[in-house]
Amino acid sequence: MNQPLRQLPPRAGIGLRPEHYVDFVESRPPVGFIEAHSENYFGRGGKPLHYLMLARRDYPLSLHGVGLSIGSVDPLSEPHLQRLSELIDTLEPSLVSEHLCWSSVGGIYANDLLPLPYTEEALSHVVSRVQQVHERLRRSILLENVSSYLEYAQSAMPEWEFLCEVAKRSGCGILLDVNNIFVSAHNHGFDAMQYLHAIPRAAVQEIHLAGFTRNPIEEGVEILIDTHSAPVADAVWAVYGVALERFGPVPTLIEWDADLPPLSTLVAEAWKADSMLETHHACAA
Amino acid sequence: MLALPEAQACVMDALMLHSRGAAAAALLRPTAVPSAQQRLQIYRNNLFESLIAALGGVYPVVARLVGAGFFRHAAKAYIRAHPSRSGNLHDFGGELPGFLHAYQPAASLPYLPDVAALEWAYHRAYHEAELPALELARLTEVPIADQAELRFHLQPSARFVASRYPVLKIWQANQPQAQDSGSTISLDEGGVNLLVVQWDLEIEFRFLSIAESRWLCALADGASLAEATQDALDNDPAFDLATTLARHLGRGLFTGVSLPRTLRKRVRT
Repeated sequence: MNQPLRQLPPRAGIGLRPEHYVDFVESRPPVGFIEAHSENYFGRGGKPLHYLMLARRDYPLSLHGVGLSIGSVDPLSEPHLQRLSELIDTLEPSLVSEHLCWSSVGGIYANDLLPLPYTEEALSHVVSRVQQVHERLRRSILLENVSSYLEYAQSAMPEWEFLCEVAKRSGCGILLDVNNIFVSAHNHGFDAMQYLHAIPRAAVQEIHLAGFTRNPIEEGVEILIDTHSAPVADAVWAVYGVALERFGPVPTLIEWDADLPPLSTLVAEAWKADSMLETHHACAA
Repeated sequence: MLALPEAQACVMDALMLHSRGAAAAALLRPTAVPSAQQRLQIYRNNLFESLIAALGGVYPVVARLVGAGFFRHAAKAYIRAHPSRSGNLHDFGGELPGFLHAYQPAASLPYLPDVAALEWAYHRAYHEAELPALELARLTEVPIADQAELRFHLQPSARFVASRYPVLKIWQANQPQAQDSGSTISLDEGGVNLLVVQWDLEIEFRFLSIAESRWLCALADGASLAEATQDALDNDPAFDLATTLARHLGRGLFTGVSLPRTLRKRVRT
């Protein structure tokens, strides 16, 4: 690879999805970086890897995993780590991230991002797992806060405290998903601002924005579901504005994975984030 | 209070419908609306919907042949019988052909498991690497006395699908871009032996004779050229090794050759 771009710029990026491969490499839209889901490239070739390598020549890359199951008590999957490690060598991503969640028990996978109980026991487990991953990959990763629809009675601390402690003790960075904070705040009745203000300024290396879906439970009560199937909601843009004030211009990804719109719609969402980033960049400078 | 391993096992049991979820619900912070059970149900939906969607992505022709409602029903039963065993969703669904074979509600569509096998082969081939083709010159480096012992390496994407039914025709007629020719496919028109392989990033289907298929499958399983050829000749005494070898060499199926350790020193590298 010729001189891969190593650092994510403080701009907005978009996910590279199979439906957009051809359009993306032909039109080379003006976005700051691309994100790819690691597991989609675990096969060793074919069109997926071909197009990602083409795009990678011109864009910095954030490699985002959805299946490592960091919070599970199952042993970490060595084949999964092996393939991830090879992919990192091939693609030289600027950032590698996973989720603060679990998804498997006894080798059976939910292939979903299940929340952890926020206990001391879970905390030390996750910290040791992140450290194992750091050693295995010979680099540090970011952990992303997930959307959740349940909380455990035994949780002894709020999610933001758990996330900060994991980052502090393991040395991982934080991928702050502003939409997930908004969704979980609604679903569990906490204040999104309290979450934001608890996160140390220096820990946040990337931000995610996405669209959610409203799921009515009964009259007047709805649960927000993180579906990545819609434009970013106005209320989430507002929380993003506050996040930029706190964390400065952090590389920001627009996530859109289901009911995928044309590439141009995705790029337009990224521009919206870019214009907010520029304002904060100007302020910071 | 349950420790983390028990808590995770309990929640997974509830999501996979191995339990009614009472134990998992008891772990949650109590809320009136949505109730603990409703909250678990959201995750249950997510789990089943995303796995059904994954199966639909790999098996669009099976889904089209049986219809969306039937497919969902079968997919749910499949997920419970063969849960996902990988953090990589692309690994999920490989047992569907075998599952459909034994699935009573689909018994009236005897070709369905073979169509599924074709789709799984396509799916796996799609994500594989393509290696440079073996050049003829490399073969001539092997002393003639040793050639019978050669092991041929195939493209990693190569998969074999055999069926008593015209499954490729069925597959082609059910592609989104397929024109409705108005003609019907007769299930009695004969079976196929197919090689599914990625070539120039596209997935190709190549028809094989039975002997040719036996020969290639044996080579793919690590048999020597002599053993594989004997296999083919047992099936068809008229099997033409030279032509068959040339045909597959010419189309890039082979990526390398090797000799067993005992003979290896005699090969120039």
